[in-house]
Amino acid sequence: MAKTNVRATGGIILPPERRTATGELQQVAWENRIVDTAAVEVPVPAGEPPIWDVETRPQVIGKALPRLDGPIKVSGRADYTYDQLPPGTLYGKIVRSPYPHARIVRLDLERAQAMPGVHAIIRLDEADLQHSSAAAAAAEPGTAVAAHKQNGGASGKRNPLFVGDEIAAVAAETEEQAEDAARAIEVEYEPLPFVADLETARQPTAPRVHAGRNNVRKLPAPRGSNGDRGDIHAGLAAADVRIEGEYRTQVALHNALETHGVVARWETSNQLTVWAATQGIFGVRGDLATFFHLPPHRVRVITNYLGGGFGAKFGAGMPGIVAAWLAREAKAPVKLMYDRKEENLASGNRPSSHQRVRLGAKKDGSLTAIEIISYGTPGTGHGAGVGGMARRAYNCANVRQQEHDVATNLGPAAAFRAPGYPQGAFALEQALDELAERLQMDPLELRLKNYREHPFKALRRQYEIGAERIGWSRRQHWQRGEGAVRRGLGMASACWPTFGGPPATARVTVQPDGTVTLTVGSQDIGGGTRMIAAQVAAEEFGLTPYQVRVELGDTRWELYGPASGGSVTITSIAPVIRAAAWQAQQKLLAALAPGLNVPPEQLKLAGGKLHGAGEPIPFARACARLRQGTISAQADRAANYERNLTDMFGAQFAEVEVDTETGRIRVVKIVAVHDCGRAMNRLLAESQVNGGLIMGLSYALYEERVVDRPTGHVMNPTLDFYKLAGTREIPEIETVILDAIDPRSNNVDAKGLGEPPIVPTAAAIANAAAHALGVRLRELPMTPDRVLNALAALNS
Amino acid sequence: MRAYGSGQLLKDVHMKKNKSGHGTISRRGFLQGLGAGAGAAGVLTPGTLAKLPPATQGAASAAVREIELRINGRRRRVRVEPRVTLLDAMRERLRVTGPKRVCDRGECGACTVFLDGRPVYACMVLAVDAAGHAIETVENFGTPKRLTRLQREFVEHDAQQCGFCTPGFVTAATALLRRRPRPSDAEIQSALSGNLCRCGTYPKLLAAVRVASRPARRSQSAASSPGKQHKQR
Repeated sequence: MAKTNVRATGGIILPPERRTATGELQQVAWENRIVDTAAVEVPVPAGEPPIWDVETRPQVIGKALPRLDGPIKVSGRADYTYDQLPPGTLYGKIVRSPYPHARIVRLDLERAQAMPGVHAIIRLDEADLQHSSAAAAAAEPGTAVAAHKQNGGASGKRNPLFVGDEIAAVAAETEEQAEDAARAIEVEYEPLPFVADLETARQPTAPRVHAGRNNVRKLPAPRGSNGDRGDIHAGLAAADVRIEGEYRTQVALHNALETHGVVARWETSNQLTVWAATQGIFGVRGDLATFFHLPPHRVRVITNYLGGGFGAKFGAGMPGIVAAWLAREAKAPVKLMYDRKEENLASGNRPSSHQRVRLGAKKDGSLTAIEIISYGTPGTGHGAGVGGMARRAYNCANVRQQEHDVATNLGPAAAFRAPGYPQGAFALEQALDELAERLQMDPLELRLKNYREHPFKALRRQYEIGAERIGWSRRQHWQRGEGAVRRGLGMASACWPTFGGPPATARVTVQPDGTVTLTVGSQDIGGGTRMIAAQVAAEEFGLTPYQVRVELGDTRWELYGPASGGSVTITSIAPVIRAAAWQAQQKLLAALAPGLNVPPEQLKLAGGKLHGAGEPIPFARACARLRQGTISAQADRAANYERNLTDMFGAQFAEVEVDTETGRIRVVKIVAVHDCGRAMNRLLAESQVNGGLIMGLSYALYEERVVDRPTGHVMNPTLDFYKLAGTREIPEIETVILDAIDPRSNNVDAKGLGEPPIVPTAAAIANAAAHALGVRLRELPMTPDRVLNALAALNS
Repeated sequence: MRAYGSGQLLKDVHMKKNKSGHGTISRRGFLQGLGAGAGAAGVLTPGTLAKLPPATQGAASAAVREIELRINGRRRRVRVEPRVTLLDAMRERLRVTGPKRVCDRGECGACTVFLDGRPVYACMVLAVDAAGHAIETVENFGTPKRLTRLQREFVEHDAQQCGFCTPGFVTAATALLRRRPRPSDAEIQSALSGNLCRCGTYPKLLAAVRVASRPARRSQSAASSPGKQHKQR
């Protein structure tokens, strides 16, 4: 595609207020908020709207505006998948294995078939479908189905590989009848050897989880500037100081409040409609089309609202395939929503990690070596790496990260908000603090010493702001406290690669009554995609976002959009929405100009009015001049202007109190400073950051999947025993969003924000706890028993 | 123990409808044995034990009953087995879907409704026990175009992300403000501690409740508020 080089200025825009030395808020003039600017030549593809840079001040984008579907949500009227109930709906229920590994000797459906209300029963042990687990864990959405028997054995049957693995499924008229029938399915199992913990699974003599494969699998190691590089031995040898430490993190469970599930209805024998609790409607469509041998347009996937998605809801997965299959067998719609226990056994989790970290540094703090060797269990799935912090975040010539998946007979892992990164940060950021202690350096100074320069990177400013707002300078004369309660200050950094780009498509139409409709193939998983989409369109038409009608969450428009994962949604769709809206606006002005006897260039839309032809004309009245004509424009996402964009960064600072008698850690305050390129909506961005760090706090202090090793059963698959942070656990939180405007990225300078805020939280709390206690907590979650054990070890 | 247990509404110990495939005394039944909300010593007295029905789980399907539920001022007739919860009767039979099913065992508050003016977890009440009582759900507070003050503050503060916990929080907070129009911050935290949010919206929903309990602020201009939006799907 033809490209034109455009000169544009990028830079950092500081938050609109700042604190003075005495702590008062001070409004900062716009001009003074722009810092660290640099001009660049940007190769802009043909057809793109005018480029924005750091001086551009959009009217709607960037404002703190409440989301437009708020009123629907707070009044209980948002219709989630769980709320769908087409007439004549049957309820699906899955029979699950009570054994962590077994052979099915006999499966008898007869008694169940005779149960009241039963319309269909299907066997899942014979199904030629890839294990749901692997599907859920698949890095790429849309790969839930593969035409091979993953775990066949001589019988051609699929052996259950974890407690909760799928055996059969039933559809009945009520949920209670479905449960009764599921219990009436007789299954005789021959239990087989299994392994339900990482340490045992690593032993050469351990039972193999996947036939013919070692339990331990080394993950591929990328090379290059964001991969392994240099010579680790030389780096360690060149160091004046070396430190080494072991860290462990737990398996955590997603627990999105709306469980996985699908409501499936066959309109005809070859036309399927599903409502899916999914982060990616097109992935679900692709999987179902493949499984049922249908052209994709014969499958319609709808997700009006999703009750939370944190990485485990990609593809049709087992609920999608089973619901649609049962619906076909029963010739009636089927609703299959996982209950909380199923959700926590079989729909995904964050893998554990056991990491050994070695750092080497010169006396001045400059890093000479970073080495991470990690083992983690993704259960029967994969993806237990510890993320890219060690390779991406700091300036170090010699980096080596060896990661291993260790298979166990437990529910499969799935992507979980910043996969690997919180685990990796927990180890790396603590090791850095330990190094700082050894060098008698301030931890923040050590990080600045190893600062890695990138164009338009905001981290240095983020450190400054965070340090100021938490009162980092107090650390120089810190009083831990004399009594039982000790106080500490800690911090940690975050990074996350910038993803997002083509393909994505959007369409904007303008009707003569002034209705502007934006249609985009995305879904709103809770981050506020619907609102940001409306803002981007509104910007081009000089309207408020509440005047834009947004259609998303439906494949029937055939406008592709990416799955919402990896912090790609806004990065992918906001630029294409702007392109479509800009084109539609240009067409609208061209259509109106002749009737107004002015050239189109003279017309301008702003403040809900058309300007440039005498008295400003209200938007709807101007559109009425279209008579019956409809203006529409459709755009495809242009490539990012340049590849290899700067990561998103962030810094979090934590102040904690630790009760040395009870072992309880109380987080007093967290300051989180992040960027997402140009923040599209400050209110929503804040919510996203709050959400990430609260999830990180919950991960740090409370959450842990507990497994009974002798039986392979999860002991806390429900919310009464799996502890999540609630209102009483929330500290004072100060969230600061900077704009790091990188004009090389896309036409709205958008980057992602979903993942980064969870990355550093556990590490920052751990560093603060270590500062308070004088002893380091190297295992998550940092529960009172672990705190007391660490103190006991210190005193003995 | 959560701030708003519902077990105290029930007169007897019930078997939970069994979702896990194991015939056990339900937690909701067990809570009743304790007298939920009281924080009393966790013992089953001989008296409560005597009331336990025999463990005949799978055979329960027989006794479908027609009952009348009074939901948001409307009388609705519904046929349910005795093991069906109020939540499931509302959601799956009467299409009252504001209250959400999340934990299904009285931990998360997403299904909170008013029963005779008191907030309860609808997943912890059997439908047959709710018959004849006045039930009020989030749908009854305000409509998208005519929100209550509290709901407006939820919107203005962005006190919802995915929104799945929101009906429960709105209901629990409405209950608090009906009971205590000017709660302290600690009272707000405590009153909402029986509800869970996984998107981490707590700071904003605490702020929304705090502001809603204070005298009204300047009114928002229509342009900066989603009050006049198009109907959204």
